[in-house]
Amino acid sequence: MAAPGLFERLRDPSEKTLGVLLLAPAFLLLALIVVYPIGKLVWNSFFDMRLSGGSGARFVGFENYVMVWQDPDFWNATGNTVLITLVTVPGALVVGLGLAVLANLPFKRQWPVRLALLLPWALPLAFAGLIFAWFFHTEYGVVNDVLRRLGLMDARDPAMWLLQPGWGFAAICLTIIWKTSSFMALILLAGLQMIPRSLYEAAEVDGASRWQQFWQITIPMLMPSIVVALIFRTITALQTFDIPYTMTKGGPGNATETLAMLIHKNTIEYLDMGYGSTMAVFMFGLSLAVTAVYLRHMARSAA
Amino acid sequence: MKATLSRRIALAASLAAALALSQPALAQTKLRVFSGGQNQRPDLMRKLFDQYQKANPGITIEIETGGSTSELQRQYLSTVLNAKDPAIDIYLIDIVNPAQYYGAGWLEPLNAHLGDPATVLKGFLPVYAQSNVVDGKLAAMPGFADAMFMYYRRDLLEKHRIAEPRTWDELAAAAKKVMQAEGNPNLQGLSIQGAPIEGAVCTFLLPYWSQGKAFNDGSGKLTLDRPAAVKGLQQWLSLVDAGVVKKNVAEVKTGDTVNEFKAGQVIFGINWSWAWDRFADDADSQVKGKVGVMPLPAMAGGQSATCVGGWQWAVSAFSRHKGEAAKLVQFVTSRDASRFLAAEGALLPTYPDVYTDPAVVKAVPWVKDAANVVVAGRSRPMSKDYGQVSDVIRTTTSAVLARTKTPEAGVNEIGSRLQRVMR
Repeated sequence: MAAPGLFERLRDPSEKTLGVLLLAPAFLLLALIVVYPIGKLVWNSFFDMRLSGGSGARFVGFENYVMVWQDPDFWNATGNTVLITLVTVPGALVVGLGLAVLANLPFKRQWPVRLALLLPWALPLAFAGLIFAWFFHTEYGVVNDVLRRLGLMDARDPAMWLLQPGWGFAAICLTIIWKTSSFMALILLAGLQMIPRSLYEAAEVDGASRWQQFWQITIPMLMPSIVVALIFRTITALQTFDIPYTMTKGGPGNATETLAMLIHKNTIEYLDMGYGSTMAVFMFGLSLAVTAVYLRHMARSAA
Repeated sequence: MKATLSRRIALAASLAAALALSQPALAQTKLRVFSGGQNQRPDLMRKLFDQYQKANPGITIEIETGGSTSELQRQYLSTVLNAKDPAIDIYLIDIVNPAQYYGAGWLEPLNAHLGDPATVLKGFLPVYAQSNVVDGKLAAMPGFADAMFMYYRRDLLEKHRIAEPRTWDELAAAAKKVMQAEGNPNLQGLSIQGAPIEGAVCTFLLPYWSQGKAFNDGSGKLTLDRPAAVKGLQQWLSLVDAGVVKKNVAEVKTGDTVNEFKAGQVIFGINWSWAWDRFADDADSQVKGKVGVMPLPAMAGGQSATCVGGWQWAVSAFSRHKGEAAKLVQFVTSRDASRFLAAEGALLPTYPDVYTDPAVVKAVPWVKDAANVVVAGRSRPMSKDYGQVSDVIRTTTSAVLARTKTPEAGVNEIGSRLQRVMR
């Protein structure tokens, strides 16, 4: 008997063929919007693509990689990015957890609490940055105004928050924590609501205090949600751009410049596409490494 | 009955055919114009374009406006043009940009459309004729001029019988005298721009140039005199220490100087020419009729120098209507357009003879004085890598003014970073 034709096979596909066919559209879409751009980025990183030269792209092998590795600006920006991540991810987790627990309390009206949780999350990052930049402005800022009214600051010698590297950095971290803890809280709130009440009732019967219940039941049961929230938050923290860009523009000097800002500067301002792409490849690697660590941790705790 | 109906149908059909045939003659060419930010007065540009549309029925012109600062506009256009987007046909760029845009292949050289640069640019001010020609190609056309001016409170200087200062030290003394006599704690002596914006490039160059030093030679090679640059930055810091410039100068942007001067809180303010209109015309201006313009002070033993700005019209290399776009550029950069922009919005002419045009002088008397400032002004380094040149100068200058870097360290950084770029 002859092998069935293509048409026949399509009409009565085996399990495997059907699976491939059903996955194909999603796979093609992903290839288009994920694989192609990343491939193109890596490809560009091997070229000298300075648009200002007007001479077209020139293959340079790993030259960009060597230059990036020796670039003090790159290490400064990477250091800032890692520091922002180390401060704001745990910061947002702690604040977010507090908010989630608060929102999970049996309020008579749920919606004002939920709305308050959602609002910072719904605000565009750049707006948050601009608003907080105003807060910390030397002359017009509400922070200095409050300090002045409390008599904690000399009106003739106001603090210049965003013009000092340390304070500027702290102000940026504070803004990021404010902005991102509501996202944390949303994920954690969903997790909290899945914890069965019966566990707490049983614990109460056994005489466990509220504090013990929190550490022995809430936190372990919440762990999967915490890990998911941490993964998302860490990756976005590594890509921090909008808030420092609108608050300090990376200043003073490049004291608060992040990796994403440096990439933007090299590509959009300096028009050095190859060099910027190389830095972006490094950033991609960093995000990948962090994700791998979390996923391993999740797999291990699931096993 | 039947016959008439079919005749009617035939008539209707032939009418429709005639309409369809005549369509190409009525076809509209839509030109999209990027006209910079609000300070580049899109309202006046709209009036000019309306005139053009009336004279050229086949053309409709759409205006798109952008961010308020030169570098925001540059970033936006970089994104659009780097993607080879044909959406924008002509765009307005800062005087520092033609070389960069030409280098990147983003603009259509206008030689083929308008003619040989030497002929086309004959009637323009030399500084604009020079900065719009790159490698012998007409990269863009000068739209209107600009320069950094020293505005001052004429009323206050007259009240306290102080002459216009000629050096920065004299300015500091004058400002202190007025501040003490007025006793207003909100009154600033001098307002300059120290935030990391394009204006900070001029903030760096003004005291440097006024020592008679050049930042680059004719070929664009860096000729930084480090001791002079250090001295220039120290001059600003000593004005901060003396209480003449405010402490958070590294936060001050162009608009801050304008708003604070307008509110009557500044004695001397350095800003672009459009500020004049704000001081004189804005409803909330506290300084109407009280403002004077004088040459920028020099360093002791040096000579006054200022920073030339100004805006150029370029045709996008990706436009689908380059011919029509070039004609529109020719129109908006004509002598008539220049006269209109000067008389209506005090946008400074790029033609020397318009500065003495009776109608313009009548509408905006101070243009006569402005001519000398613009002609004597110097241009920032022209470089295909201007984005980088500007970023290095403004970021470092701002850091020095925020006192997170010493002037020496800042100048060394500018020198070593730009050595590679400007060679």
